[in-house]
Amino acid sequence: MRNLFARHESVLALVIVAEVILFQALGRNFLTGGNVSNIFRHSVEIGLLALVMTPVILSGGIDLSVGSMMGLCAVVFGILVKSCGLDPLSASCIAVCVGALGGALNAGLIHRFNMPPLIVTLGTFSLFRGLAEALTKGSESYSGFSEGFLALGNSDIAGVPTQIWILAALGFAVWFLVHRTTFGRMLRAIGYAPEGARYAGLPVGRTLGTAYVLAGAAAGLAAVILVARLGEARANAGTGYELLAITAVVLGGVSIFGGSGNILGAALGWLALAILNNGLTRISDYEIMGEKISSVAREISGMLTGILLLTALAISAATKTLALRRAGKQTMAKPTPS
Amino acid sequence: MTIRKALLFTAALLAIASCKKTEDAGKTTVGFLLKSKGNQYFVTCENGARAAATELDIDLRVDGPINADPAKQNEIVENWITDGVNVIVAACENKDSISTALRKAQEAGIKVVTYDADAQADARSFFANQATAQGIGEKLIDTAAELMGSEGEFAIVTGTLTSANLNEWIAVIKARQAEKYPNMKLVDVRPCDDQKDKAQQEATNLLSAHPNLKAIVAVCSPAVPGSAEAVKQAGKSGAVKVVGLGLPSENRAYVKEGVTQAVILWNPEDLGYLAVHAGVALTKGDLSKGAKTFKSGKLGELKVEGDSIILGEPVVFTKENIDNFDF
Repeated sequence: MRNLFARHESVLALVIVAEVILFQALGRNFLTGGNVSNIFRHSVEIGLLALVMTPVILSGGIDLSVGSMMGLCAVVFGILVKSCGLDPLSASCIAVCVGALGGALNAGLIHRFNMPPLIVTLGTFSLFRGLAEALTKGSESYSGFSEGFLALGNSDIAGVPTQIWILAALGFAVWFLVHRTTFGRMLRAIGYAPEGARYAGLPVGRTLGTAYVLAGAAAGLAAVILVARLGEARANAGTGYELLAITAVVLGGVSIFGGSGNILGAALGWLALAILNNGLTRISDYEIMGEKISSVAREISGMLTGILLLTALAISAATKTLALRRAGKQTMAKPTPS
Repeated sequence: MTIRKALLFTAALLAIASCKKTEDAGKTTVGFLLKSKGNQYFVTCENGARAAATELDIDLRVDGPINADPAKQNEIVENWITDGVNVIVAACENKDSISTALRKAQEAGIKVVTYDADAQADARSFFANQATAQGIGEKLIDTAAELMGSEGEFAIVTGTLTSANLNEWIAVIKARQAEKYPNMKLVDVRPCDDQKDKAQQEATNLLSAHPNLKAIVAVCSPAVPGSAEAVKQAGKSGAVKVVGLGLPSENRAYVKEGVTQAVILWNPEDLGYLAVHAGVALTKGDLSKGAKTFKSGKLGELKVEGDSIILGEPVVFTKENIDNFDF
């Protein structure tokens, strides 16, 4: 039992339960079918990014370019459908490939030139967004997509938003990859001790490459889903999403130094953020000093995200320290015979 | 021990949960969507909307994005749909994407009115139109004519020579001048690329090329303070009048110094007021397709052209009244 509470995922699960109780109590129509479906529908893109950000961070890296990549892929998709007359399905596939190529570029620079992932993806962060803006001259956008394509972003299958099925399927695939294959173990090994992994003869380049290509491809997919939801492809799609995804992953207990963490944690971190962002907009009937809360909810969501992240990580760290100290005392009480 | 803590925690939450909500049941609920929060222009629109809400005794919810995320406006609208608001009044940041969400709202039986920036025509019932090309162009030339005594040379500083709406206004100005003010002469139209410093440079060139120039009409907002600065530096304050379309806040100093005589813009407060009135009228059946006029509270009877409700004449901001407007 004690062991269960010491786990970071348990802390997060408690946080989520607390959020749900709080928003159900204070908010309007929080736990209604429509709103629950909104919570998921509006956060799928961040969820996809968080999902593939996890392997990258496990490997000791980071990918700041995924949000910009969404902008580029959205624009590429828009051009293919609207200017080249391609059908949405083929255009989606190409957009995902463009994302994968971008990921390969990241991985190539990181591995071949031994450059830090932070620097490389900071560069491509500007590069991809810049490309998207250049392609659209900053102001053009593409809209008027077919009903069938828009359904991807706006319809339900069996009462669940269509895009959630995609996220769930991909989530399972990535979980399997990270926790049930040698690829996953190599990823952790690289994150834990990159030099050690190299000396042990692990295929570092190939492993990192897979992680970044996956991240890029998922960003392409997220872009297509976002365009389907909004009905418009624009160069500013996904602005700032990379940081939200990283927040979700770190909130999920994945070590930013690499080597430790799991997909379940990242998923819970994402869920906690998604609920927070939606819940705040549900609180609308209260007044503080003559000011309706609804008019400040969006402004404080950033602040609360920060508090949530720091509190959850602090609680988790404190329980760990406590457990270590207790273990230490027991060892001291019973000195092991030499 | 941890379990006890968890129980305490849950108890505390349940205590919060038992708090009472203040629900205004039965009132018409209107969602008022801003292009962006914190923009003084929209804060002023919101003030007008709140005034209308008090007058009509409705529940008004105001929201808008605080960052550049293009998905935010859609999310706000979708949340309002699940809340079952009766009316959505929206200023649209991205015309095409917001239309997807507004169409969904209409399917859910919500009345939709747009203001400031329109959505696609099939995504809303009416557009509260702040200004027609006719209204803006005529007001600009009439004000300039009044200041010039209806005679003498004037020049126009515009944004770009390819900008559709600016060209429409200039066409109105030219037509009205030819018709009503035959003793006035338009000597040049110069583009400033929507930049204040470029406008200043162009205005300086105009002043030296046309020594008899009596007025500069600036039709894009950066051109107004730009032209004023040029006139001021040339030492021709008052001798060459400056008239333009722009925000009072950007021009306050020049207007008070007497460099710029008049700044023209619609009143955003009235715009917000009108849009909320129109939305509520739709739910009551007081406004429907094909209407020719619409009576909007203190604004009185307004003209309806097709599916846009015309706010009416723009306001002229001068030394006397500019301090009453803080956007």
